[in-house]
Amino acid sequence: MKVQEEYLRDLRERAEKALAKKAPLGPDIDLSQFYLCSPRERVEDVREIEDQLKEAALYAGVELEGEKAATYLQVDRSAVYERVQRAFQGKLEIMSSQEALQKYPELLEYWWGLVPVDADKYTAFAELCPTEGYFIRVFAHTKVEIPLQACLLMSERARVQSVHNIVILEEGAEANLITGCASVRGNESGVHIGVSEFYLGDNARLTFTMVHNWGEAFHVRPRTAARLGRNAFFSSTYVLLKPLASIQAFPQVFLEGEGAQATFQNIVFAKGNSYIDLGSTLVLKNKGCRGSSISRVCATDEAQVFARGRLIAYHDEVQAHLECKGMLFSPRAQIVSVPELEVYGAPRARLSHEAAVGPFEEEAVNYLRARGLKKEEALSLLTQGFLNLDLPGLPEALRRYIEEIIRVTSRDVL
Amino acid sequence: MLYIEQLRVAVGDTLILDGVNLEIQEGEVHVLLGPNGAGKTTLLMAIMGMPGYRIVGGRIFFRGKDITNLDVEERARMGIGMAFQKVPTISGITLRTLGRLVLEKRGLTDALEETASRVNCLYLLDREVGKGFSGGEMKRAELFQLLLQRPLFSMVDEPESGVDLDSIALVGQALRELFERDQVRTKKRSGLIITHTGYILEYLNADRGHVLMNGRIVCSGNPRDLFADIRERGYQECARCER
Repeated sequence: MKVQEEYLRDLRERAEKALAKKAPLGPDIDLSQFYLCSPRERVEDVREIEDQLKEAALYAGVELEGEKAATYLQVDRSAVYERVQRAFQGKLEIMSSQEALQKYPELLEYWWGLVPVDADKYTAFAELCPTEGYFIRVFAHTKVEIPLQACLLMSERARVQSVHNIVILEEGAEANLITGCASVRGNESGVHIGVSEFYLGDNARLTFTMVHNWGEAFHVRPRTAARLGRNAFFSSTYVLLKPLASIQAFPQVFLEGEGAQATFQNIVFAKGNSYIDLGSTLVLKNKGCRGSSISRVCATDEAQVFARGRLIAYHDEVQAHLECKGMLFSPRAQIVSVPELEVYGAPRARLSHEAAVGPFEEEAVNYLRARGLKKEEALSLLTQGFLNLDLPGLPEALRRYIEEIIRVTSRDVL
Repeated sequence: MLYIEQLRVAVGDTLILDGVNLEIQEGEVHVLLGPNGAGKTTLLMAIMGMPGYRIVGGRIFFRGKDITNLDVEERARMGIGMAFQKVPTISGITLRTLGRLVLEKRGLTDALEETASRVNCLYLLDREVGKGFSGGEMKRAELFQLLLQRPLFSMVDEPESGVDLDSIALVGQALRELFERDQVRTKKRSGLIITHTGYILEYLNADRGHVLMNGRIVCSGNPRDLFADIRERGYQECARCER
């Protein structure tokens, strides 16, 4: 117990020292302009959740009334609803991370185990002013085919939500997790800080899909890292189709075990004045590790997008690829592709990247028009194809919603 | 069905077609012959209304309506269709998705797989449009889309190029279906086909042929006779004949 108290005290001290530390990337946010979000009442039955919240969750990819293996809903400061389907009880756990820390003190071993608490002012804030977050554990050799889902909503004006999520897949466990984060009232300002740490044991497999649906005055600072054991597999897909004030995230995956694999897909439609700085880092440490990081970005209006990718090889027998494709719809929009390939003491490592940024293909638009499609239909179809939205596990309603956003956005562009 | 009067078309600053006159009646299928660079594809693109093919003179009438200034999708909706020689890759969109959209334009939902089967495209349905298609696959995929679209007037740019001999019969049969050549009583669909080899004439009894040279139609007549003459004497004879 004493060791744990010391650990927590040390974390707090480090966080306090980092409270004014600006992040190296992205516009700096003055967190003093925002209040901490408020606590909410817990509900025991999904039918008690307000329709407005259900709708906001749905637009972030989470069907609260759908058949899911497990569900976690947080509104503002509180975990308001948690449920594990009966068939999976005893096979997985889902609860607020604060509750999990109380229940399992040994969880501290994972708490800030991958993301440094003093990385910047946002991680520091998340430690000093925590507002829950989810804890998910899938027990060893449990294969959960039905998706798990977690939803983090913000419903107040000028608030900051700072969650800390821990996901543990024990050896041989398999799961598909959909996380949706959204503001319930689209026009309000706010800050969402999300620290997420993923631990995948040997032979574990996690498909992680995150959909963000914030408002134009929202700043978002995810801080994510994952550690992969032997032959573990981690696939992360991030979808952002609505405008926001700014987002900056550069998640890291440490491929520690032999044969570990990781893939990142970022699907972004940048609109309005959005400032989007997204990337991923793959640290390939062991024999047979493989990875890829793929970005598909459409940018219009005055949106600014940085698509980053960083591959770091520490072993000869590793292979990874970066790919960034960007499509510009407006002369004022900007896409900057920033690839970084680093090799340390592993001259046979195979790292590669390719990038292409340009306008949409006029020839393809005209080809589709010759098939009788209107120009906006053709553009919408091309955009959908470009963003390649065939994502596994997404609710049908969300898929339709995404298609609709793209259709309307394409029409606006014209 | 289609009437073209003194058509002049430029691509960029270069005048490609310089006074083309052409008339194709309802139910007629014509073939267009000519050496490389004569402007055959430009003529088809201009009839289709593809941007980049600038009409600088003359007029195009379709079913009595002046379509010279209509844009490409309006012409498509009026019943003009085209199987392209060069097909762009449509990333992330399968032939099935595009086919479904084309069918929806006609208010139909079924017949997709059955049609694909007839032109040996079933195995291509879940591949991205144009991506990694061989020459023959490209042709069949284009004809597949035209069969779904069912235009009143179809243009086909070199249906036999890149197609192996086994597939030519399939392409020929698809063209017969497209132009409803086996339904004599209801023969209303028309078309214009560019051919270099004339193989397609074995499967489709075209009504008339035209030789396009230096941006103008220099000779018209029975397509088989035209082909026989060109095989024997070459296109240069056509040029001399014009003089």
